[in-house]
Amino acid sequence: MNSTIANKKYPRHRQKVMKGNFAAAEAARLCRVDFVPSYPITPQTSIVERIAEMVSTGEMDATYINMDSEHSVFAAAKGASLAGARVFTATAGQGLFYAHEVLHAIAHLRLPIVACNVGRPSFPWNIWSDQSDSLSQRDTGWVQFYGESSQEVLDTVIQAYRLAEALDLPVLVVLDAFYQSHTSENVWMPDQDLVDAFLPAKRPGVTAIDMDHPQAIGGLVPPEHYGKFNYNYWKAACEVEEIAEQIATEFTQQFGRSYHNVEAVNIGPQTKIVLVTVSSITTTARGVIREHPDVGLLKLRLFKPFPKMTVLDALRDLPPDARLAVMERNFMGDREGALFQEMQRALYQRPLEIMDFYAGVGGKDVPPATVTRIIELAKKGGTQQVMWVE
Amino acid sequence: MLEVRGHARGGQGMVTAFEILAKVFSRLDQFNVQAFPAFGVERTGAPIQAFLRVAREAILNRSNVYQPHLIVVFDESLLQQVPVLEGIKPGGALLINTERPSSAFAETGAKVFTVPATRISLDFGLGVKSLPIVNAAMIGAVMRLTGGDLNIALEAIRDNVPGKPDANAHAADAAYDALEGPHMPDAFLLQMLAEDQSAAPVLTEPANEHYPAYSGLDAPAWSEPMSKNKTGNWRLNTPVYLNKRPPCNSNCPAGTDVREFVKLASEQRFAEALHVIYAHNPFPSVCGRVCPHFCEQHCNRNELDGGVNIGAIERFLGDFPGDAPPLRPVLHEERIAVIGSGPAGLTAALRLREQGYAVTVFEAMPQAGGMMRVGIPKFRLPDAALDREIDRIRQAGVEIVLNRKVSVPELAGAFEAVIVAAGAHLGSAMHIQNEHLALEGLTFLRGFKLQGERCGIQAGDEIAVIGGGNTAIDVARTALRLGAKPTIYYRRTGKEMPAIAQEVREAQAEGVGFEFLIAPLSMQEAPGGKTLLSLTRMELGDPDQSGRRRPVPVAGSEFTIPTDKVIAAIGQFTDRAAFGEAVCKAAQGQMEGFDAIPVFGAGDMAWGGTVAEAVGSGNDVALEVQAFLRKQPYQPPLRENAGVLPGMMNYNYYMPSVRHEGLERHSHNLTGDFAEVNTGITEADLTAEAARCLHCGDCFRCGNCMNYCPDAAILMDEEGRLRIDYDYCKGCGICVQECPCSAIDF
Repeated sequence: MNSTIANKKYPRHRQKVMKGNFAAAEAARLCRVDFVPSYPITPQTSIVERIAEMVSTGEMDATYINMDSEHSVFAAAKGASLAGARVFTATAGQGLFYAHEVLHAIAHLRLPIVACNVGRPSFPWNIWSDQSDSLSQRDTGWVQFYGESSQEVLDTVIQAYRLAEALDLPVLVVLDAFYQSHTSENVWMPDQDLVDAFLPAKRPGVTAIDMDHPQAIGGLVPPEHYGKFNYNYWKAACEVEEIAEQIATEFTQQFGRSYHNVEAVNIGPQTKIVLVTVSSITTTARGVIREHPDVGLLKLRLFKPFPKMTVLDALRDLPPDARLAVMERNFMGDREGALFQEMQRALYQRPLEIMDFYAGVGGKDVPPATVTRIIELAKKGGTQQVMWVE
Repeated sequence: MLEVRGHARGGQGMVTAFEILAKVFSRLDQFNVQAFPAFGVERTGAPIQAFLRVAREAILNRSNVYQPHLIVVFDESLLQQVPVLEGIKPGGALLINTERPSSAFAETGAKVFTVPATRISLDFGLGVKSLPIVNAAMIGAVMRLTGGDLNIALEAIRDNVPGKPDANAHAADAAYDALEGPHMPDAFLLQMLAEDQSAAPVLTEPANEHYPAYSGLDAPAWSEPMSKNKTGNWRLNTPVYLNKRPPCNSNCPAGTDVREFVKLASEQRFAEALHVIYAHNPFPSVCGRVCPHFCEQHCNRNELDGGVNIGAIERFLGDFPGDAPPLRPVLHEERIAVIGSGPAGLTAALRLREQGYAVTVFEAMPQAGGMMRVGIPKFRLPDAALDREIDRIRQAGVEIVLNRKVSVPELAGAFEAVIVAAGAHLGSAMHIQNEHLALEGLTFLRGFKLQGERCGIQAGDEIAVIGGGNTAIDVARTALRLGAKPTIYYRRTGKEMPAIAQEVREAQAEGVGFEFLIAPLSMQEAPGGKTLLSLTRMELGDPDQSGRRRPVPVAGSEFTIPTDKVIAAIGQFTDRAAFGEAVCKAAQGQMEGFDAIPVFGAGDMAWGGTVAEAVGSGNDVALEVQAFLRKQPYQPPLRENAGVLPGMMNYNYYMPSVRHEGLERHSHNLTGDFAEVNTGITEADLTAEAARCLHCGDCFRCGNCMNYCPDAAILMDEEGRLRIDYDYCKGCGICVQECPCSAIDF
């Protein structure tokens, strides 16, 4: 029996059952990545292990290097990308924190690197699902996508290279630990030629090293010149929301699966409560709101730069007394969680009330009952704007 | 939606099993599937869960499974440890890996199915008893419960297991057939696909006020004793302290517990150390001086910085003035005769006397000791050292009759058993022309030792010694001390010489000449009492049976030298006079060919050629004679060399240290000087040298295991012994890995 099933639903695809981490690795292969520096860390390790396996068997034609730390991983990624390679890597939690300094450099060098992060918190020590690691890197200049399923991880990595290479920006694709990274589920695997048609070979980047014209890159910049090295980067960041949506539309045409920067479910004049989610909790919320005709769902897929216009557009038909209930699997050392902060910014001077719910930090399971509880609390309202429901 | 929850221990393969089940269901009917694990701590043996969802529609739930239709238990012991049954759906089923029937689990109130997955998996060679890999078998049992097509599962198993695809498929097949439980309609579980998830009770208050008040630390802390956290039930492999054979012990032909006497010596417990040696070897003073020290040759410390100088330690202990051994009482009627008072004969006699037998040793020569007495010169083994060890044997009650050359037939009737340990005192011939012109080496050594017979050797004589063994070296060094100029001619190179290397070095230092790759061809008488010795040069050809390269003559290389005397020392054989007229083959243990009295052989005449081997032979033959007399079965002791090999040692945990060599006396004029060359080791050096022992295969209480144990499960008891507390040991094996001397194993 063939280990995959071809199906008419998605032509030129094969159906498989695979874990999110394997989907990320397969995406790197399908994107014909040239260079993968790596360092293991739970729960990311099986991504780079799978890539190492594919490189060793010849399934993937890339240079794979085991580095001595995540700082070195991202430094090597930077160098290889400067040299013109299409670069992929993956990390998690402490690994991402350790690489923090290099993340800024990569963004400002405008290097179109794509990395996957499998989220886990910092301290107290914990290996389970939490987005505090990636969300605390939101100001490094990396574009950030959050995936809901193994399929979405695979598809988003493919789109991420298009976006990264279109705007010369690095992209972080974030997976949830275990609920996604280690969850085996149905995935439609596109044929290589389908991906090749969507993602052409990498063009030389704006900072690509030219051996005939050697130059030093990244020297000291005095105050009078500093602004000009940020202005163009700022312009590119401003374009992300629009370009990402265009690429998602193209992807839908090519592959048949529909993606947007944000996804609105059951949001309209009848909606009293809108759950705001990222990642795998979204799926459980989808199941719960089927029982609640007055509850909608706003899923943030693109998180950084924050898709303000798309969010406002998605909420435009809400009645003024509707409430947003934001679900936070992160802790940012502030009163409100990261999603609330961004939503509040987007909704500045809008009449909508926003409540914030910490749920699922450190990998605490978020079953349907917890989502229902958040809906009940949001409906009740009250003066307490931020709550911990676990 | 069908929901399944699994309970297992990390390492049993459950996560893979659930992943495979997800793939199987996706193939069965293009179901939507979702399988994922819930790990606690990342450790083998820790209780873990895995979840599986199967649905026709999209699965809109990514949380854990709380209300399963089916609970799969990979490890029966978890039933007592974790709330396995929690949340089971009404009418839900429980599948347990167990040898017990489903009726034994009636109190669970669930529909219980059982399968002996562990036994099935082990039958197919999957995992080991301490860690059976039961995942394929459990998949087979689940397929039976769900009524799915087993062939699809077998194919998925073959595709997805990391190894042994056929064995895994066979195990699944066997488990499918072995499932036992209540009769249920086919595929009853798949009927549950239509059920929706029942709603769990919903809390309507936030948790804000439920957290404990701030206490100055927002991080986990543990101030209770570790003993509260008993994790021993995670353990799949159990580490234990073992006493493995070290290479010194396993290579000692006498069977001496070398490691133990070295350890006692390092603690300056010399009398006890001597006692340990004496249990296997009554000749430590002799062996400390003349044994090639197989123990030392195989010492694992050779891989680090030089083997422990065991010979020097043994010699010190042998010379240590211990208590006089007690006279052993005679407890049995049977009388035993021993022919030959060499190390084999005297050892056998002592052992039998210790067991209560009257033993008489007959010695043809005027002094006891055999080859130790007549074959080893005094400058290597002073008479006093040998006399003291023989005296101890006499004091134990062994009677030694000197100057009595007896044969077996004349002893029949007076004794119930005879041990023949006649040694090998006759020198082999060179089989060359005018052989009679050569003196035979053993004859020379014996004559000089017993009567001071110089065999006509005068100061200044040129002596040609033929041979490369210890006899050749001893002959040459004795001749040197008579003022002669000896040269050893050996047909191979120095590398192949069977003589003890240190003896060769000392002979060279003293001035003995060595000529390698030369063999004798003939001798002629020459005027002035000289002998013309014709020789040929040799070269090394292909290896022979001994593994050494065979020497072959180089054509046309013959030459002749004049010498004052040629002494042949090329081998020895046994004087068969002890056997009388009997037709027999000298061998270890009871020998064929004797009717009147049982005869047992031992010593050089049977095998070996060193004192230590003769001592071992004497120990063995004593056991055999005793078994014979007591009409008990006798099993020859196993002489296997397995033990702690260098690859099993952690050398990084030992500090390098310099080997303490024994002292040597060097004289400018050796003529007439028969005093001992090696003078032994000082007491201070001795204890330091003994402390260099690596304690291969025996815990020496270094505490490495205790330091490394992540669970503080290793403790030192009031006597300083390390002990594993199995209430807390998770079986991680770090102690096994980090033990310096391989004294811990699963």
